[in-house]
Amino acid sequence: MAVCVAVIAKENYPLYIRSVPTENELKFHYMVHTSLDVVDEKISAMGKALVDQRELYLGLLYPTEDYKVYPHTWQWLRVWGFPAVAGLCTVMPCLGLSQSPRIKSVFPNQLCSYGYVTNSKVKFVMVVDSSNTALRDNEIRSMFRKLHNSYTDVMCNPFYNPGDRIQSRAFDGMVTSMMIQVC
Amino acid sequence: MAQCVQSVQELIPDSFVPCVAALCSDEAERLTRLNHLSFAELLKPFSRLTSEVHMRDPNNQLHVIKNLKIAVSNIITQPPQPGAIRKLLNDVVSGSQPAEGLVANVITAGDYDLNISATTPWFESYRETFLQSMPASDHEFLNHYLACMLVTSSSEAEPMEQFSKLSQEQHRIQHNNDYSYPKWFIPNTLKYYVLLHDVSAGDEQRAESIYEEMKQKYGTQGCYLLKINSRTPNRASDEQIPDPWSQYLQKNSIQNQESYEDGPCTITSNKNSDSNLLSLDGLDNEVKDGLPNNFRTHPLQLDPSGDSSNSIDGPDHVKSASSLHETKKANAGIIHGACLTLTDHDRIRQFIQEFTFRGLLPHIEKTIRQLNDQLISRKGLSRSLFSATKKWFSGSKVPEKSINELKNTSGLLYPPEAPELQIRKMADLCFLVQHYDLAYSCYHTAKKDFLNDQAMLYAAGALEMAAVSAFLQPGAPRPYPAHYMDTAIQTYRDICKNMVLAERCVLLSAEILKSQSKYSEAAALLIRLTSEDSDLRSALLLEQAAHCFINMKSPMVRKYAFHMILAGHRFSKAGQKKHALRCYCQAMQVYKGKGWSLAEDHINFTIGRQSYTLRQLDNAVSAFRHILINESKQSAAQQGAFLREYLYVYKNVSQLSPDGPLPQLPLPYINSSATRVFFGHDRRPADGEKQAATHISLDQEYDSESSQQWRELEEHVVAVVNRGVLPSNFHPTEYCLNSYSDNSRFPLTVVEEPITVEVAFRNPLKVPLLLTDLSLLWKFQPKDVSGKENEVKELVKGEPEMIGTEVVSEFLINSEESKVARLKLFPHHIGELHILGVVYNLGTIQGSMTVDGIGALPGCHTGKHSLSMSVRGRQDLEIQGPRLNNTKEEKTSIKYGPDRRLDPIITEEMPLLEVFFIHFPTGLLCGEIRKAYVEFVNVSKCPLTGLKVVSKRPEFFTFGGNTAVLTPLSPSASENCSAYKTVVTDSTSVCTALISSASSVDFGIGIGSQPEVIPVPLPDTVLLPGASVQLPMWLRGPDEEGVHEINFLFYYESVKKQPKIRHRILRHTAVICTSRSLNVRATVCRSNSLEDEEGRGGNMLVFVDVENTNTSEAGVKEFHIVQVSSSSKHWKLQKSVNLSENKDAKLANREKGKFCFKAIRCKEEEVATQSSEKYTFADIIFGNEQIVSSASPCADFFYRSLSSELKKPQAQSSLHTEKQSIEDTMRLIQKCNEVDLNIVVLWKAYVVEDSKQLILEGQHHVVLRTIGKEAFSYPQKQEPPEMELLKFFRPENTTVSSRPSVEQLSNLIRTSLHYPESFSHPFHQKSLCLVPVTLLLSNCSKADVDVIVDLRHKTTSPEALEIHGSFTWLGQTQYKLHLKSQELHSLQLKACFVHTGVYNLGTPRVFAKLSDQVTVFETSQQSSMPALIIINNV
Repeated sequence: MAVCVAVIAKENYPLYIRSVPTENELKFHYMVHTSLDVVDEKISAMGKALVDQRELYLGLLYPTEDYKVYPHTWQWLRVWGFPAVAGLCTVMPCLGLSQSPRIKSVFPNQLCSYGYVTNSKVKFVMVVDSSNTALRDNEIRSMFRKLHNSYTDVMCNPFYNPGDRIQSRAFDGMVTSMMIQVC
Repeated sequence: MAQCVQSVQELIPDSFVPCVAALCSDEAERLTRLNHLSFAELLKPFSRLTSEVHMRDPNNQLHVIKNLKIAVSNIITQPPQPGAIRKLLNDVVSGSQPAEGLVANVITAGDYDLNISATTPWFESYRETFLQSMPASDHEFLNHYLACMLVTSSSEAEPMEQFSKLSQEQHRIQHNNDYSYPKWFIPNTLKYYVLLHDVSAGDEQRAESIYEEMKQKYGTQGCYLLKINSRTPNRASDEQIPDPWSQYLQKNSIQNQESYEDGPCTITSNKNSDSNLLSLDGLDNEVKDGLPNNFRTHPLQLDPSGDSSNSIDGPDHVKSASSLHETKKANAGIIHGACLTLTDHDRIRQFIQEFTFRGLLPHIEKTIRQLNDQLISRKGLSRSLFSATKKWFSGSKVPEKSINELKNTSGLLYPPEAPELQIRKMADLCFLVQHYDLAYSCYHTAKKDFLNDQAMLYAAGALEMAAVSAFLQPGAPRPYPAHYMDTAIQTYRDICKNMVLAERCVLLSAEILKSQSKYSEAAALLIRLTSEDSDLRSALLLEQAAHCFINMKSPMVRKYAFHMILAGHRFSKAGQKKHALRCYCQAMQVYKGKGWSLAEDHINFTIGRQSYTLRQLDNAVSAFRHILINESKQSAAQQGAFLREYLYVYKNVSQLSPDGPLPQLPLPYINSSATRVFFGHDRRPADGEKQAATHISLDQEYDSESSQQWRELEEHVVAVVNRGVLPSNFHPTEYCLNSYSDNSRFPLTVVEEPITVEVAFRNPLKVPLLLTDLSLLWKFQPKDVSGKENEVKELVKGEPEMIGTEVVSEFLINSEESKVARLKLFPHHIGELHILGVVYNLGTIQGSMTVDGIGALPGCHTGKHSLSMSVRGRQDLEIQGPRLNNTKEEKTSIKYGPDRRLDPIITEEMPLLEVFFIHFPTGLLCGEIRKAYVEFVNVSKCPLTGLKVVSKRPEFFTFGGNTAVLTPLSPSASENCSAYKTVVTDSTSVCTALISSASSVDFGIGIGSQPEVIPVPLPDTVLLPGASVQLPMWLRGPDEEGVHEINFLFYYESVKKQPKIRHRILRHTAVICTSRSLNVRATVCRSNSLEDEEGRGGNMLVFVDVENTNTSEAGVKEFHIVQVSSSSKHWKLQKSVNLSENKDAKLANREKGKFCFKAIRCKEEEVATQSSEKYTFADIIFGNEQIVSSASPCADFFYRSLSSELKKPQAQSSLHTEKQSIEDTMRLIQKCNEVDLNIVVLWKAYVVEDSKQLILEGQHHVVLRTIGKEAFSYPQKQEPPEMELLKFFRPENTTVSSRPSVEQLSNLIRTSLHYPESFSHPFHQKSLCLVPVTLLLSNCSKADVDVIVDLRHKTTSPEALEIHGSFTWLGQTQYKLHLKSQELHSLQLKACFVHTGVYNLGTPRVFAKLSDQVTVFETSQQSSMPALIIINNV
């Protein structure tokens, strides 16, 4: 299931971002932010002609391979000074090149991010723990649709100021339902 | 990947050049040393050939070599140690920093405008150094020595011998097994003999002869006479010749280990140097010349502390960097080539050319040929290898095995002379001489061989070079085989675990891909090579990858930023602080202000820390400031860390400039518009029974309604003082200035009275903040007391005799808390004060943070330091005034008015009053009278006067009238006394009233006086400094139940008139909770009996209903009505009518009692003599004590309630101004209904409280104004008016109320019949019974009235007819009378009865009209009561 869900405004600032291991929040922020490049690329690749019929779902944004083969994301995690990660990283240098399959099993950190863009250029980015292989494209798609519906509900709230951070309990609950607790 | 100075086509050939060893004799070395250069260094600037060279390939075709470069280096016998290389690379990178004034490119991508430095010179120099310092390995020959120069000086004693010695040495190094390191290309290395000749010192002839000898021995092709040092170094100053070495040696001095090889320290420190070349040469280990020896240790030696060179700790790097600077400096002072003239330069150039043409190239040509022959013979191929390889390549491809299938066979090693290596050797040679076609085919062949043999290292090498040579082939016959490179990289890294080779491969491949604009592939390659083992490499590669992202066709800005951050992190780990900072700063451009606060905070934090370590303190401070002032979403631990870092850095900054102005601190936030200023002393807490006036304090919330009330009160009292006019320059006194008050004027305050400023702090962080030594910052302009203002000196802080400043030693603001601090100033001098801001030490609290996420800066991660970790700084208070909106200009633009609440003017002394209330109750019954005391204290040094109290509720309290002096003055004496003034009476005079009278003027209720403004009866009207006066004060519980807030405003003036402040005020709000007690209703009606004892008309009956409405079961037991008094100008109670047996009327809960009193008019003469304001009081007593109702406080409250009552009708009277005549009539008619009787019911309540019985006293007032109308002691609750329908038409101007009501008219004339109650008449004697009846008519009004009395029966009702015994009036049946005002007239009538029975005599009908009025308001007077008469038969 998703480990991080983000809603990004048209101007590319976050409207909502939430992740479940909360201590790695910064990592996910960076990851989502970087994913936006790919989103932009995909949108521009689609061209203007197909705006109407275009598929909102963008598919896999970040090549999982990056993280599968070389889980170097963990290497820089040490930086950010999160105690949990710091503990993890003390292990890392001893292992040398983090190539051994042992590490992979210890840290199931093959993360993929998926993107979705609404017609108003609001982007949804979801980071999914891909060690959970049961997740298929269709499920991701339906998750996004759920997210989109919930987002629409938020926008319909007359007290919501478009462009503000989303602070809706209903939305929160929906996102929570899409996440799993990763310990 | 950033742009490079060199293109790929230049870079790769320059990276792989033929290597030539140089072996010098000592003497030769000494000659070159005169120029501060080693022999190899001497040649370096000239090692590139300026002309094209030709060479024949194995097929005898001419091949042109352009820009050939050779690398001459001194032989070293040790392979470079990896640690040393790492350090060298580190130094190279840190030595290369972006130029200061470098204009960065502006790249616009989407909404981002980024300043990015296009070039990365540090990466280029890293790459160059990295490629040069590659250790020679067995699987490739590119950097193996092809030739060896043997150099001897002509000044040697036996140069030829020296040559042979050197030759032997070379042979020994190459072929002896002791030396594994310097790798040689082929066994028979080319030896080139060079004789150095010092022109200035040596004997030219001898040199020539030696050269001749050499030519003889080694052939013309194999030797050279190089003449150098044509001048002496002393003359260097006059002639400026270019120094071509500087650009090489700047780097070389630190990176070329050869240059220091002969340093004595090196030798002594190097344990393996026993077998060193130089010691073998028999040279002494001492310094022979003036060579400056900058290094105590070998530059590439790993010093033990240097082991951790890529760990994060700073000092090592600082040291190494500083030593680097030292060497740089030292080197800068040395002029290279001081003994060389331009001719010498040409000679050296000539020498290199000669060596390459004559020596090296023929040697290479020969070697290639040999290798080719060997290969052909070995493979048994008839055709040339060239065509054969071509055929293989184009033919059926051998399916390449994937890398995973290949087992780890890197262990496989070929012997040096293995035939498989020969083709590789040939390929390398071809590559070195830029014959890329041939090289490619050879590499390709070699690759296949190696793959077949599963020799993975060799295969990877071949693949790498095959790819490179394929790319470099002129005309590009085939596309660049990127997959070769990928395979090679993967093999190097994964199978061979050789990161250095993998890195080289990546560097080359990335550069090639970049040249083909394949940025994303290049980036992927670069990223893939980042690993844990080398931070520096990872950093550089990540940075290049970031540059790749930004250079893509559609720039990927965010990826760029992300990788820059990764690079920055690795740089910092590698100790490259400056580069790290640069990377973070570049990434910051992308993240800044885009809402990614977490990331932004992180970057800011890192920038701050890096700037700090680089001593860029200002940057560090601003970066840390950024993290703290934005609403941070970081965790508490993180914020704590941020804060501590910030403080630490700040402290360092402030230590640098201790005398500078105090820095502005960003924390905590100050809500400056919420700043409140209070002038005056703090309120004293309640002291026992003493309770200070509430006045104003900062604890009170602002309430616009109440402040408006206070203002009205003040205006009121000021108007009264100024005889009803408000002075034009009047401004309400403000003691507390806040955002709601009018702050456009400079506030006035009095010297010696403290000024309290309340500053609203808010801590946005999740960690507590500790402010210490918090005080106000101010500026003061003292004013001369003599009035001369010629010198205005400005004083800022530090003169406590002018202004005292209170310092709050500790002020803690918890996480995310808003808290106010109250700071005081004590002005001791008059003048103008300007409060500028606050100054404090900002710190964190000790031990609040236990989790320390990031290794904190030294000295700030231990709890011991965190307490002392505080910095002094200031924050200004700048308050923006309200937006102006008056003129058009102000409305159209945005302008703000001034806010002067922080700029008080300190004026001369004024009196200061303090008021205390003693025994002031908090709860009262409605109408309860309680006596309390007020103490007035003048705490200033000025006498005060004109003390007044103003209140909206004057009926609540009184200071007593002029009779008040009779009561005991001290509060203690009156402990158990009644509040009233009482007189003991004898019980006989119970039912009759005791009369007294009092004038309302005595109680301050005069005509035109303002009842709300009450002057306080000070003994001498002046309160001297320090004096205090206690005055009694009576309170009466308000009639309404509930909580009452009663505002008192004390007004006083100084005896001495002050121009600026005329008066001062003191406020008090009393809160009284009242509970229900009695409810008194009273009606008055005319008594039917007209004559009383005095024989005067106008007696009235007063009915008083008293109901106990108290509901509290526990508290009040019962009420006793002790006295009912009347108070009126014209009426008085005479006696109680219903004389009950129990004298004291007791009322328990919910009981009701009824009293009936007779009231009579006061005697006319009394009324006449008394002034119109004189009231007559009549007391009817039920107990045995008379309460003197005409004295204080009973009368006071009566008058006050009266005055409040009087206000209401006055408001109505001016309603109808038209129809004056009718009005007059109306009034007249109304008047006769009016009484002005006021009833005062005095009671006692027995209350049990804490098993103690208390007696409470109180009084209720009922104002009777209209006869027959019920009046209440408490104001009736009015029904809320129903919602009216909106009317859309104009209401007709109806003349309502022009006619007085019937009821009113019927009261004009009073009638009464006087007759015997029963009359006996002997009907049997006389059939008609005549009864005399007297009809008394009295005119109640003040006007003349015409009265018509009609006795005729007009009963038309059938029942009346049926009455059996009707009677008739005899005689005149109609009378017309004229009654003067108040006149009494009696008519004698006769009634005639014929039967016995009971008759109603009340049949006469009376019509009345005002005689002087044309309009007749004729109406029958009151429907006569049944006046029954009994006629008996006798």
